[in-house]
Amino acid sequence: MRTTEETRQSFAIRMRNVEKRIGEFQLKIEDLTLEEGRIHGFIGGNGSGKTTAAKLMMGILSPDAGTIERKDLGPRDITMTSQRPYLLHDTVYANLVYPLRVRGRKPEESQVRALLARFGLEDKAKQYARSLSSGEQQKLSMLRALIFEPRFLIIDETLSNMDPESVEQFEEMILDIQKKNPVTWVIISHRLSHVYRLCDRLHFFSRGSVLASGTGDEILFKSSEPEIRRFMSKEMIRSGSAES
Amino acid sequence: MRKKFTAVLAVAAGVALMGSCVAAQEGAEEKGRLMMATTTSTADTGLLDYLAPLFLEDTGWELQWDAVGTGEALKMGENGDVDIVLVHAKASEEEFVENGFGVERFPVMYNDFIVVGPKEPIAATDDIEAVFTQITEDQLSFVSRGDDSGTDKKEKKIWAALELDPTSNEQYVESGQGMGATLTMADEMQAYCLTDRGTFLKLKKDADVSLELEIVCEGAKDLLNQYGVIAVNPEKYPEVNNEAANAFIEWICSDEVQELIGEFGVEEYGQALFTPNAGTDN
Amino acid sequence: MNVIEKLVGSLFSDVGVYDAIRVTLCMSVCSTLLSSAIGIALGLALERFSFPGKRIVVRVNRTLMGVPPVVVGLVVYMLIMRRGPLGFLGILFTVRGMILAQTLIITPIICGMTYSYAVKTAPAVRVFARTMGANRRQTSILLVREMKYELYFAMISGFGRSISEVGAVMLVGGNIKGNTRTMTTAIALLKSQGIFHEGLTLGLLLLVMAFVIQCLADFLRREVQEEENY
Repeated sequence: MRTTEETRQSFAIRMRNVEKRIGEFQLKIEDLTLEEGRIHGFIGGNGSGKTTAAKLMMGILSPDAGTIERKDLGPRDITMTSQRPYLLHDTVYANLVYPLRVRGRKPEESQVRALLARFGLEDKAKQYARSLSSGEQQKLSMLRALIFEPRFLIIDETLSNMDPESVEQFEEMILDIQKKNPVTWVIISHRLSHVYRLCDRLHFFSRGSVLASGTGDEILFKSSEPEIRRFMSKEMIRSGSAES
Repeated sequence: MRKKFTAVLAVAAGVALMGSCVAAQEGAEEKGRLMMATTTSTADTGLLDYLAPLFLEDTGWELQWDAVGTGEALKMGENGDVDIVLVHAKASEEEFVENGFGVERFPVMYNDFIVVGPKEPIAATDDIEAVFTQITEDQLSFVSRGDDSGTDKKEKKIWAALELDPTSNEQYVESGQGMGATLTMADEMQAYCLTDRGTFLKLKKDADVSLELEIVCEGAKDLLNQYGVIAVNPEKYPEVNNEAANAFIEWICSDEVQELIGEFGVEEYGQALFTPNAGTDN
Repeated sequence: MNVIEKLVGSLFSDVGVYDAIRVTLCMSVCSTLLSSAIGIALGLALERFSFPGKRIVVRVNRTLMGVPPVVVGLVVYMLIMRRGPLGFLGILFTVRGMILAQTLIITPIICGMTYSYAVKTAPAVRVFARTMGANRRQTSILLVREMKYELYFAMISGFGRSISEVGAVMLVGGNIKGNTRTMTTAIALLKSQGIFHEGLTLGLLLLVMAFVIQCLADFLRREVQEEENY
């Protein structure tokens, strides 16, 4: 039996000297360690390598060089949702329970319905999943990722098209889960507001590498990296104008 | 650059293709064309391939033909789709003339029908009645054309004359195809088959997979197969090429061409495929 | 059944039309099912695995999709004739022989269509299956399920091709009345007898069947499109 302290210190995934080339784009990560049971945020501009790093962690891509260690994480313990989620040619309900079926678990219908109801999808259980709005599709894919209680979860821009209320609900849900049974999270976003509040640690990506890792305050307010400062000031203006 | 080249190539190919089509048409128009509907046997034996160039040389008309069953050939004549018919079903031909579709029927030649099949169990004979009776009684395999062609009609007539129902024989099948295809099937199925001698000899000699069928019945009187030639009536269909049709009839009934018909096939098959008999009343 | 038989019989002269319809359906259904099993498996395998010469295989497949059926008929005939390498099977001039020929004609079509659909669909499905923790077998099942409308469409195309084919069926089947005569070869025979109107009626019947199949295919295609335009 491991103590809580040990669990805190150990990592879920660690990437060492990983290189991956996709066309013109080159990803190069010297050391990226994601501590177990924490909520990690990947931030950075478009094309900075956030999603590529996530896919490498998932095993969807394999690295050209370097090592990716997954500690005690089997293929059934980890999952990832994306901005444009893949939905099965089937009903909302069938989509939601698919990961349970993969694991040979019988879905409890009342529980599933309650979950749908919580996000306003209760009337749409029998609807064809791809006929949902893109925000609803993202909600569905979030629920589908959460329903089987994964131990490692990557949320790639999935909150971006959702209404603010739902985003808040999911944030609450994430924090709830975290209190009960710590899960390792990676939340990828180019929106600071989505990650800052939730995340224990931030990893700032730029041009295919991790520029800095640390707590939110360390990265965003104490960093001397000019690129991070530029990103910050733009974000401030954007969120400022959005709120006014 | 490459795109341009491809485009030029495509255009050039198109022009060449069009040119060749036009050229082919011009060639046909220059001399005039005689369109004939005939039975598969005259075409399958190669007789028409042999006669057509000679006809062109002698008269300047180009002979083209569509080889189908007798029934269909007469139908094409009735519709005015062809200028002339060369078929072998005397009763139908006479009806064709009586109904005003044809001008006059001229006998040209005959060949004979034979029964072919495996050597066992039917021994070679000239008794067609015995052969057909044995086939039905012993339930031997038999391939009928079943396509209402002259040959098919002949076969049905023999069954009828013997008051036999061929379909009571489970091994009796109808191919619904031409003589060549039906013979090939009979060979494959080791079945008996009524055929004209010409098609059988030609197939026996030329087929890639040599036929194992043998003649089991020949020489019977009622196995003769008379061919007649009829020009389609220009009074009914003014657009038909009656001039060429008459030229063909006169030409094919001439002593010279009759002699050529009598020689056709002798060199290749050791026997004549057709016996000329123009001028008789067959 | 008897009423239909009589009705059909009263419409046509004695070329065995009722049997021809039965033979046509039997042959087409059997060959479509066989081709679907082989073609879908091959198409998916072709998408799944890369190997040297794969592009050539794909190209050959595309060529075979347009092969003149009568050529296939000739090749099959030569294979299964009494003195051919497969003559011992004794399937020349039988419906089984026709099914063999049809299967060879349709399989490349179904395989090629499956392959091109799979190329579009499979990568996303595979990534999704990975994120859901599906194992290899579950991923394969999922892929087939996700492509089901496209696969139905490929099967219907194969079936449509099968019922309308005449050359190979004539050669290999022999157009034997009541036995290997199909609707198309019956039409060829009726034409050769000069009975055009019955041939046309039978042709219309075939057209109606093709129309029904076309509607089915159209319906599925629309479904596929609607799904994509979300």
